[in-house]
Amino acid sequence: MRYDSITDAIGNTPLLRIAPAVHGLRNIDLYAKLELLNPFGSVKDRAAWNMTRPDLAEAAERGSQIVELSSGNTAKALALIAGLHGLGFKSVTNRMRVPEIKELLLLLGAQIEELPGQTECLDPTNADDPLTQFHRMLSEPGSDYLHTDQYYNERNADAHATGTGPEIVRDLGGRAPDWFIACIGTAGSSSGVARVLRAHNPDVEVVGLVAQKSDFIPGIRNIDEIQEVGLFDPLVYRTIDAVTSDEAIDGMLALVRRSGVLSGPTGGAAYFGALRYLRPVDAQLTQRRTAVFIVCDRIESYLSYIRKRRPELFGGKAERNTVATLSDEEVGAATTIDIETAQQWIAQENPLIVDLRSPFAYAALHIEGSVNIVDELFEELVRGGLPFSKRRPVLLACPVGEKSVKYAAVLTRLGHPDVRSLSGGIVAWRDAGAELVRE
Amino acid sequence: MGHPLYLQPRQESQLAALTEANGFLHMLADGLGTPLNVLLPEQIAENLDRFRAAYQKHHLGGEIFFAHKASRSSALVRQLAATGGCIDVASVEELQHALSCGFAPARISTTGPKDPAFLWLGARAGVTFHVDGRAELEALAALVRTYDLPRVRVLLRLSGFSSTGVRTLLRRSRFGTSFVSVGVLLDTVECVADVVELIGVGYHLDTVSVAEKAVALEGCINVMDECRSRGMRPQVIDIGGGFGVSYLAEAEQWDTYVTELTSAVLGARSPLTWRGHGYGLRSESGKAAGSLGLYPAYRKVAGAEYLDELLGTPAPSLGRPLATLLLENLYDLYTEPGRALADQCGLTLAKVLEVRRAADGDEWFVRLDMNAADCSLEDHGVLMDPLILPSGDQCSSLSEDSSAEPVGVYLFGNLCLESDLITKRLVFLPRLPAPGDLVCFVNTAGYCMDFSAHQAQQRPEARKVAVWQDRDGSWRWSLDERYWPITSSGILWEGAAV
Ligand SMILES: Cc1ncc(COP(=O)(O)O)c(C=O)c1O
Ligand SMILES: Cc1ncc(COP(=O)(O)O)c(C=O)c1O
Repeated sequence: MRYDSITDAIGNTPLLRIAPAVHGLRNIDLYAKLELLNPFGSVKDRAAWNMTRPDLAEAAERGSQIVELSSGNTAKALALIAGLHGLGFKSVTNRMRVPEIKELLLLLGAQIEELPGQTECLDPTNADDPLTQFHRMLSEPGSDYLHTDQYYNERNADAHATGTGPEIVRDLGGRAPDWFIACIGTAGSSSGVARVLRAHNPDVEVVGLVAQKSDFIPGIRNIDEIQEVGLFDPLVYRTIDAVTSDEAIDGMLALVRRSGVLSGPTGGAAYFGALRYLRPVDAQLTQRRTAVFIVCDRIESYLSYIRKRRPELFGGKAERNTVATLSDEEVGAATTIDIETAQQWIAQENPLIVDLRSPFAYAALHIEGSVNIVDELFEELVRGGLPFSKRRPVLLACPVGEKSVKYAAVLTRLGHPDVRSLSGGIVAWRDAGAELVRE
Repeated sequence: MGHPLYLQPRQESQLAALTEANGFLHMLADGLGTPLNVLLPEQIAENLDRFRAAYQKHHLGGEIFFAHKASRSSALVRQLAATGGCIDVASVEELQHALSCGFAPARISTTGPKDPAFLWLGARAGVTFHVDGRAELEALAALVRTYDLPRVRVLLRLSGFSSTGVRTLLRRSRFGTSFVSVGVLLDTVECVADVVELIGVGYHLDTVSVAEKAVALEGCINVMDECRSRGMRPQVIDIGGGFGVSYLAEAEQWDTYVTELTSAVLGARSPLTWRGHGYGLRSESGKAAGSLGLYPAYRKVAGAEYLDELLGTPAPSLGRPLATLLLENLYDLYTEPGRALADQCGLTLAKVLEVRRAADGDEWFVRLDMNAADCSLEDHGVLMDPLILPSGDQCSSLSEDSSAEPVGVYLFGNLCLESDLITKRLVFLPRLPAPGDLVCFVNTAGYCMDFSAHQAQQRPEARKVAVWQDRDGSWRWSLDERYWPITSSGILWEGAAV
């Protein structure tokens, strides 16, 4: 298909039937609305485009900056739309806790501002809650912002009432499903879609999903936070259930590993929440029924989020010459040298002195004549084998002598005949009054 | 009344043992009257050890300064003096108190606004000064020269840190010198170097956010580097206080309470507060607006563990964990915990004077022998249920009393003031208290015991006592001002018995 603008590729996403062998429901056909296949990668492409479209021409003329409170997908879509139209974009948030998403946004040219956290000592006169600050910023003199206001903007829900919802009905042959399951962030997608489905079938049951309190699923809110959302109307939902991050990841893995859908955590949450809700219903059914859930975005941006919660999914690396593979005996057998002896040894033998601290600390103060190889880099180097000649003795130094003794053991294992670790490290060196230089 | 929404306090072993000692607490309350503040000086030493352990885990040197402002108790301060901890004072009175409790000047630092008397006494004694800016530094230097005082050690208090890449907006502070104008301040340090020795830089940020503190700490590391490039050799980075306390035993009670409070504010359930007070939340066309002005009463990570987490956090631009950066740059770490060191160190007792049913509802009013300022939990945004200690005659029957039913009560003070509410919220108790019972607010030692206390309507301020357990487990007490760390070891008692 040929397009003139990437925004023309927004919408018309596939409705994929999940294989019954995967979900195990006997009487319900379960479909995934694959919003992850939108061009900018998520369900929010529709909302972002619908909210900005009418104002873009004027904003471009005035040189306004698009601004939104967003922690991820809306920001991503807005950043790309802003770029397309020669505008700047700023995302203000206190919820952006996934590092890859931050980095991606910076790469896309977005400016990110993180709002301050809660005060530790309560100040009753403090009117400075983050949202008040944000609105003050919007109205600062001389500023010119196009604020898309996704939590209150009806055009967010409308994007789904005119797009996502009708597409689902069309792909189901003109009928609404019996159940519709979606996660709630701004409530734009769930309420917009629900509006259309209800028009076709007043009995459609909408299940809203939120993150378990005290847990965190990037992109959606918890049961208290949805109360602040302008577009959120509790009457839209038959029930609102909570999903934990663990459950979201389980659901995500089923979609990824068994259905070929590269879903992110909220797609997994929707799949998990759908099955949890539908299983008991399915057991009572005698007729065929249909359910649809939304897969909002893709897995790639959440690797660190997943790793933090499920390190085992990434497998352990089998490494040979690393600190982790050392036995206590090897570490115990490594040669250490105290400060005074080290000073004499340096004067007599001129060993290669390797300072394992960061370049920043090394630049500030170091032992004269030493070279700086920061521990992370050193670990990489020795993995491949001995990086120094065996003919020259080596003195390793780190802050307190704890890391250097381990690397001394690694070098010894690699066959170096004379490596010594500076006992007590640079701290002891300084405390002994030995000289440190700044060059 | 609906389902009771409890907010049960977290009690570690010493505090739990004390609140079990019903007879002992009633004896104290009968003898000394209520309100009565009861302190557990030995607990502060335990808290200090936890902070020390966090330092050791990261191989960091440096000192832990108790922020004196969190408590006026002599027992706590003296016990701390006995342990080798340090103290941070914010007024000339606190300084006098710290000196009188046994702190050598080398173990005292001063923060906050300082008048000439405060400067003089501090400089004369030889304490460390946190200076807020150029004006204070110059005033201090002038004073040292004029009165021919010994050279003073100073730390520069910085604020207004900024980050690159992702801009972390930091809460604004009234205190400290903005990070961007630190160059001018360092020029001044050089001019007064004959009378002032720069030992380091620091900050105190009033935020629970680790990310903000990481930006500030990295900012300090950069300023220290600038000092070094000017030929100075500062060694200390002071990261202030604000490590937090977890007041509640269970996360779930807190989560449920906040959810229900939000519904109550939106009118979706029966009210949970006096006259619809919303603790900062309000309803705007059916949506929750404003922000909850409450201390996050349940914290998964608080105190020494919070410090540990902060130290393990990577610096925003240098990338290495903050502890590693401190260590490899050979810097010592100073901290100034207030609330976190006073955690679990005391409780506040008040006698129940009157219990009556609200004319128009099924709630109860309970009037206590104290006023709102005697126990300022709510002023500090801390929501936590008190315990009820039944008076002697019903004591035994009560625990087994199966007829006891949960009730919702409002706790009032004894002042003739509409606003003298001890709690602005409906407090759920497992049973209705009776006159003569003691209401026990636990974990009040940090800020909630005497921070706001005053003599309203000529009511006396609460007395303070220090308590401890003998080797055989029996409880002992002493007036707070008569407690010395040797008191609890029994030496004074044995001496008295001879
Ligand atoms: C990953 C992800 N899933 C789900 C949602 C929820 O969509 P909505 O905002 O339409 O409720 C969002 C929205 O921010 C999201 O980013
Ligand atoms: C400079 C300074 N240090 C330390 C503290 C203690 O803070 P916290 O009790 O939260 O640890 C305060 C509190 O206001 C302070 O202002």
